Amino acid sequence: MAQITINNKQIDVPDGTTVLRAAEMAGIHIPRLCEHKELTPYGGCRLCIVEVQGVRVPMASCTLPVNNGMVINTETEAIKKSRKFILSMLFSERNHFCPFCQVSGGDCELQNAAYAEEMTHWPIQPGWNDFPVDTSHPYFVLDNNRCILCRRCVRACSEMAGNFTLSVAERGAKSMIVADTDIPLGESTCIKCGSCVQVCPTGALIDRTSAYQGHDEQMTEVKSVCAGCSVGCSIKIMVRDNRIVRIEGDWDGPVNHGALCEHGRYDAVTESRKRITSPMVKKNGKLEPVSWDEALNTVKEKLQALNGDKHGVAGLASTRLPAETLAAFNDLFKGKFQSDLVTSIEEGVPTAAVAKYAEGHENFEGKIDALRTADAVMCIGANLQTSHMVAGFQFKRNLTKGTRLINIDPEESGLDDLANIVIKPKAGTDLALIRGLQAIIAKEGLERSSLKIKDADKIIKNAVAETDISLEKLTQAARLLANAISPVILYGKGVTAQRDAQIVEALHQLAVQIGAEDSERNGLLSLKGESNSQTATLLGLDQPFSLNGHKVTYLAIGDDYVSKSLVERAVKSAYLVVQASYESKLTENADVLLPVTLWAEQEGHYINLDGRIRKAEKAITAPENVRDNLDVLTDLAKRMNLSLDTDWQKAIRGRKSSVALN
Amino acid sequence: MTKPKIASDWICGCAGCHMSLLDMDERILKIVELADLRSTPITDLKEPDESGVDVGVLEGGINNSANEEVAHKMRQRAKILVALGDCAVFGGVPALRNFCGVEAALKQAYEDAPSNEPGSKIPDDPELATMTKTRAIHEVVPVDYNVPGCPPDPDVIFYVLSELAQGRKPELKDELLHWH
Repeated sequence: MAQITINNKQIDVPDGTTVLRAAEMAGIHIPRLCEHKELTPYGGCRLCIVEVQGVRVPMASCTLPVNNGMVINTETEAIKKSRKFILSMLFSERNHFCPFCQVSGGDCELQNAAYAEEMTHWPIQPGWNDFPVDTSHPYFVLDNNRCILCRRCVRACSEMAGNFTLSVAERGAKSMIVADTDIPLGESTCIKCGSCVQVCPTGALIDRTSAYQGHDEQMTEVKSVCAGCSVGCSIKIMVRDNRIVRIEGDWDGPVNHGALCEHGRYDAVTESRKRITSPMVKKNGKLEPVSWDEALNTVKEKLQALNGDKHGVAGLASTRLPAETLAAFNDLFKGKFQSDLVTSIEEGVPTAAVAKYAEGHENFEGKIDALRTADAVMCIGANLQTSHMVAGFQFKRNLTKGTRLINIDPEESGLDDLANIVIKPKAGTDLALIRGLQAIIAKEGLERSSLKIKDADKIIKNAVAETDISLEKLTQAARLLANAISPVILYGKGVTAQRDAQIVEALHQLAVQIGAEDSERNGLLSLKGESNSQTATLLGLDQPFSLNGHKVTYLAIGDDYVSKSLVERAVKSAYLVVQASYESKLTENADVLLPVTLWAEQEGHYINLDGRIRKAEKAITAPENVRDNLDVLTDLAKRMNLSLDTDWQKAIRGRKSSVALN
Repeated sequence: MTKPKIASDWICGCAGCHMSLLDMDERILKIVELADLRSTPITDLKEPDESGVDVGVLEGGINNSANEEVAHKMRQRAKILVALGDCAVFGGVPALRNFCGVEAALKQAYEDAPSNEPGSKIPDDPELATMTKTRAIHEVVPVDYNVPGCPPDPDVIFYVLSELAQGRKPELKDELLHWH
């Protein structure tokens, strides 16, 4: 601890705390622009200068660690004068004319800083230098004319997304933000996560969809959970007039700490599918709008006779639906109707094998946090550049700081370029590969916990033969993993799609063997799939969707996307009921169509890939005549004199989970 | 006691700041009660009194020799000079032409813009003022009070004028300070 005095106030703070943070602890605000709580201090804008007794010049408090006995003043006349001068210099650098900037009027940190210093004008007029504007990106515009070179975006790109696309070109007053080797942003390695836009303190990074749509104070901020995938990022939905204007990562989010991916940030605001706004029933081969009453009674008539018939109704629900809805769906068709085919849209591809193994090894998987501190990551069958990107951010950002990556994927993967070791085994040889790694580690005596492997040579030989990967490369990977202090194994659809619990078992053994999993840490995790993948699996909604003479098919698609394969199978149904938000090839073929709410129009719980149970909030109101997903199922059940079990918390605990639920 | 005299004029602006001044509604009567409104763009008198005024208000920046003359005259004749609005304070929207230069701006406006008749030329009548870089008022003459805003809110204008008319110094901060 260090005892310091700030503005005559004494405070004890932990060693290593910066003066700026210490001041915050003492309730003293120091103006800043380049500083951001989720980014490494940079000390670039100099606005946070303070006076330190015994030091000749003002010091930037964001990069200055406290010293025991330090005496600091943040509001002396000299400091206030310098601060105003620093702002004057910043304004003089580029085009900071406020009237035509989308952040002016509350959302600009530069303007707010000037207001706080009561600046009525610029003592130094601008130099009129013209800088490039990059409009090549689909989601945002980079206007270097409004940039103050705080480098928050550069740091967000590397420290949040781990993507290292943005950097600074040129020197001094000519410095500017560029993508890669100064190529258009839209053609760069940018993964479009938008973290840079979220941290920009001025109007230099302009969000195309939300610019000029109103200031933050005119919007309602709804804290919720992203329904995009199983990572379960915490989000802030910015709503104005019942419209989602923008989605931001919630800095307090336990999984993402403010980061989001392209899908989480932009999918909802760039949605182009056509909404279904009225219940429809097929009459004379054509879907006709009808009342809810008529639609639900039509379904009731069809379903009622099938109660108890296991080949009666086939049910399939989206894993983007809340736990409450999934549990109700499961209870209606599996519990009450006793159907033998009730599953989810993912058909258990990302979870069934994991769940099967979990039956004997409850909670064998760990937490996503392990990725942040991992010094070696083995990704197998998990392309984190296209899905579950925020999980990838957690270790990608450390790749330049020594964390090493082994990427195992027979398919082309964006992670290949980042990996220290790339292994492309023949498809379907994962088991042999993992056992080979186990055997090499055992043979080389690198085990943290012995697997007691017999005949290692034979296993290794087999691995080389089956995978078509050289012994040298396998050995390299095995050594890297075994020598790591905190290794993590992350596996995805590439592995789980094989529906083989043996591979999961082998991965678990490997994790124990290399010390990724021991009494202190747990560094084994599967990615799962959509936002409620784990919930669906816990409810047992994870079997393949194979129609077998079922008389009615009930698809609760919600706002999910439908694959070609699902459409091909579903249209063969004798009678098709579709509960969906958007028109699709599937809805065209429905006999009854029930329009339902989107993720943001309903509330409900989600269980993410590492078992966190969290509630997503309702942010906007659905159009008239569109009903809540759960409400539709409950109403339908009521019409058939059935009462659905509403205890979803109990329902999901009917099966052992691969991750501890909390 | 005689009432303090206030004069105003607009130069390289859009008249929006004076519209905002009129937007203070019935409070303008209070200003008239407190002060003697002399020359303004919307009164008959076209120049501040030679004998001087207490407060001179200028809307707009300075982008040619005629603007310079108006600014100098107002400065000479006013005890207190107020720069009203973003153009007067910063240069504002007209100052954006500084990024490309006067020549390019004139060429675009009078020759290249598709709405011009073919063969149109940049006017060169010697009677016309000479174009210059667009400047904030304080770059040409000393300013006592900068009142930013595009336009400044009627409340801000009322506050500034009524304070000055009553011999007090207006302080622009918090709710009264905005640049947009």
